[in-house]
Amino acid sequence: MSLVSQLMATSSPSGLDAKRRFSLGGVAIWVVLALLIIAPVMSFLILAVSPRAFQQGSQWFTLRFVSEAFRGYTGRGIADSLWVSTLVSVLAVGLATTLAWLIHRTNVLGRRVWSIAMWILLIMPSWMMTLGWTDLLQPFGAAHALGINTRWIYGEFFGPFGIIIVLTTVALPFAYFIVSAGLQGLGPEYEDAARIHGASRTRMLRTVLPIIAPALLSAIAISFAETMSDFGVAFTLGYHSHFPLATYTLFSAISTYPANFSVAAVIAVVLILSTIPLIALQSKVMRSRSYAVLSGRTRSVRRREFRRGPRIAATLGVSLFFFIVLGVPILGALVGSFVENLGIYSARGVHFTLTYYQQVLSPSIGGKSLGAPLIESNQLGLVVASCTGVLAVVLARRLVASSGGWSQRVTDVFLLGSVAVPGVVLGVGYIFFYNLSFITHNVINIYKTLPLLMLALVASSLPGQTRFMAGPVSQIQPSLNEAARVHGAGRLRAWQTTNLPLMSRILLWGWLLTFTKTISELAIAQILYPPSQEPASVTIQAYLANLQPGTGTAMTVLTLLEMLGVIVVAMFLYRLLTPRGWRRVGWSGVQS
Amino acid sequence: MSLKSRERAVGVSLQHLHKDFADKVALEDVNLEIEPGTFLVLLGPSGSGKTTLLRCLAGIERPTSGEITIGGTVVASARAFVPPERRGLAMVFQDYALWPHLSVRKNVAYPLRTSSRAKSQRDERVDDLLERVGIAHLAERFPNQLSGGEQQRVALARALAADAGLILFDEPLSNLDADRRDQLRVEIATLTRATGATVVYITHDQSEAFALADRVGVLNQGRLVQIDTPEAIYRSPANAFVARFTGVAGEFPVTVVDECGPAHYEVALPFAPDERIEALALERFEPGDSMSLFVRAAGVSLAVTGSAKGTHGTILDVAFTSRGYEHVVSVGEGATLSKVFAPTRFDRGSRVQVCFDASSCFVMDPTKGK
Repeated sequence: MSLVSQLMATSSPSGLDAKRRFSLGGVAIWVVLALLIIAPVMSFLILAVSPRAFQQGSQWFTLRFVSEAFRGYTGRGIADSLWVSTLVSVLAVGLATTLAWLIHRTNVLGRRVWSIAMWILLIMPSWMMTLGWTDLLQPFGAAHALGINTRWIYGEFFGPFGIIIVLTTVALPFAYFIVSAGLQGLGPEYEDAARIHGASRTRMLRTVLPIIAPALLSAIAISFAETMSDFGVAFTLGYHSHFPLATYTLFSAISTYPANFSVAAVIAVVLILSTIPLIALQSKVMRSRSYAVLSGRTRSVRRREFRRGPRIAATLGVSLFFFIVLGVPILGALVGSFVENLGIYSARGVHFTLTYYQQVLSPSIGGKSLGAPLIESNQLGLVVASCTGVLAVVLARRLVASSGGWSQRVTDVFLLGSVAVPGVVLGVGYIFFYNLSFITHNVINIYKTLPLLMLALVASSLPGQTRFMAGPVSQIQPSLNEAARVHGAGRLRAWQTTNLPLMSRILLWGWLLTFTKTISELAIAQILYPPSQEPASVTIQAYLANLQPGTGTAMTVLTLLEMLGVIVVAMFLYRLLTPRGWRRVGWSGVQS
Repeated sequence: MSLKSRERAVGVSLQHLHKDFADKVALEDVNLEIEPGTFLVLLGPSGSGKTTLLRCLAGIERPTSGEITIGGTVVASARAFVPPERRGLAMVFQDYALWPHLSVRKNVAYPLRTSSRAKSQRDERVDDLLERVGIAHLAERFPNQLSGGEQQRVALARALAADAGLILFDEPLSNLDADRRDQLRVEIATLTRATGATVVYITHDQSEAFALADRVGVLNQGRLVQIDTPEAIYRSPANAFVARFTGVAGEFPVTVVDECGPAHYEVALPFAPDERIEALALERFEPGDSMSLFVRAAGVSLAVTGSAKGTHGTILDVAFTSRGYEHVVSVGEGATLSKVFAPTRFDRGSRVQVCFDASSCFVMDPTKGK
């Protein structure tokens, strides 16, 4: 599950009707969370020690599968995932901190462009990144077509090196946005105080950096969780490189005959447990000390003014970085989609062709065209993003409320913990839970239908979206709503005229993020799609797996373009339709 | 029923008001009657419950028990709770609470959007208010383009725009610097009084309270300990807490020597047992009782040694003010008087005679009202 931002929620919303909100809201929210996340995930995890619980074996309690999961192929997958995720989280946070400092705290050129580039990186799914790199570097791929020899790096890329690079670029934006939020709250007065009292530049940094320790710790925790739970790279690059990662071995355990759900459940437990210590540590640090640095007296951040030479050097460095992490894979996929016989030796040499794009619309060798799956994905995106948006706002308000007591704290910990639940675990959990005869007969019968996939996708997006909203919601002073109420606005009008405008930008970005992530989501879609209604990501993977990389790549390019197109149109409509005041305010992380 | 149609200047009544939060009692059995048109200032330290009381009046908080009546209508009781938008009041918030996405004009016009006035009349009203608070030239700006003082003027104009019978002020000057605070205090006093509305204003600054109020209510630990005119509060504080919080130059342990008139006692200072000081008392004491003497700064004067009758003292510090000099004087071991005014300067270390005026000295039980 994605966690976009780990912003710190400190203030409380209005005290209006706190008791009523507690009694009604609390129960409703926990029922929704139980149906969406808790019950499906638990019904899968229990198989780790109790296969008989869901007729997957004869024992009510056994530890046999625990030892089995840590041996052989699955054991290697767990070990690989752990060390790769550790390394990736450190690399991602290091890079993110450097970039955040350059973009937010110096006069490096093109700061707005780099912020947009980071958002594009955020919406790029890991399998698309992998595809771009693969198309570029593979023998007779895009680089070969452009006359660049990549043989020297090809072998390296298809192994831990390539996997670490791609996963680092995937984790990077999560770490970047968290660290950026921390840096923006770090006013110049702390630097000034250290230097005035005689600190050298190094000592000043040693003094000031701990202030953003929670942000750094959050960034490491989230990068680690994101990497551990990533399925796109494991399913593509990991599999092709014979470098098993835990999410793939989990998928493999349930998708190969005979399926071993108990071993898969043990892997799922390991995936979740591995992230708990970091999240708990981050949570403890946040509670034990006060890191509230934002106040009415906080002055705006001061940028370090580079002279001309260093400024150009820093700008070139950032440009090169974004070219490598974003430009290269996009270019690889784009060029690859025009290369005839992509990845195959041809005696005719390199030729460019539009054939793949024709096949996207009317495939010549069976298979589906992209049209219907892409429409399916867009419909899914529309429903999932809208439902998630509404639920996330409700949950975020609850998360930052001062009156929630234990229920609020439990919600907080639960949502943090849910970040560690990989999509593939959620998908399998949904199969078990929503296929129970009690559920299908007495509660809801949606097994093998599109609504089940939608529910799972909402469940997957909700924890991340809620945390994403919690920061901006907590930044809205409760007195703004109270002032509206005191001056004659009813509950709804007060929300419409004060909270909605202030949240509009983050609501839009949150919606777009969930929309694009839903379109490109692979793990849950692969497990839960109804037979005749496959989404675009599944169709594309089918082409790529069936030795038609050109068509798959063209479909990927078109899907990415469609996603970017929706973002551009949405932003344009936002500019066109909202009052000027709405656009003046908004979440600083989005604006910057 | 909306209260908006009522005549301006509504009366307010609080009966046995009680408010609990999860871990503390914020208000305890508060009873209060506010006459229509009164400018009431609630004075108290942080945590005394004044903000909670104001929020209960506004309808932002629901009292745990008790009853609130505004303009004869019960707005909060065990059975009824009128939401804030239907109480027909206005409020100026401590953090201004200006909506950042709305221009100054739209912020001020906000309360008028539900009124029955024509748009032209509403615009006229907004223009008039902006003119009165001196920010007409800033009408199209957004709040983040204004200084703190300008933002507070917008908040004031918005509160006045509501044409409310009751205006609430939540420490509106606490975020401003001294100059702007004095200036805005005068404007709040004149502009709100001109509307005729009843005002409830909270602050922790006694000088602000005394300057603004028709009546001052002093809150401590959730209880209303005294309510009276500023003069009465200053001259006859109900207990040691009120005396301390409304400003004393010094507080010394004393022994009651004798009663020397109605509500007047002679007391002896432990560090000058031969000296006698006359002080007011609101309760009866017996000779030999150990009490405390509270001395208002206005009740102390300084003289050159030997020139007058009084206690001997030594100047510890002196500060220039625009009207003269304020001194810190030691009158015995560990006993100091601060803010002692004299038109002429006494240098640090010099010996002086300290004279006490009985009308500004109170003998009290120091444990009462703690």
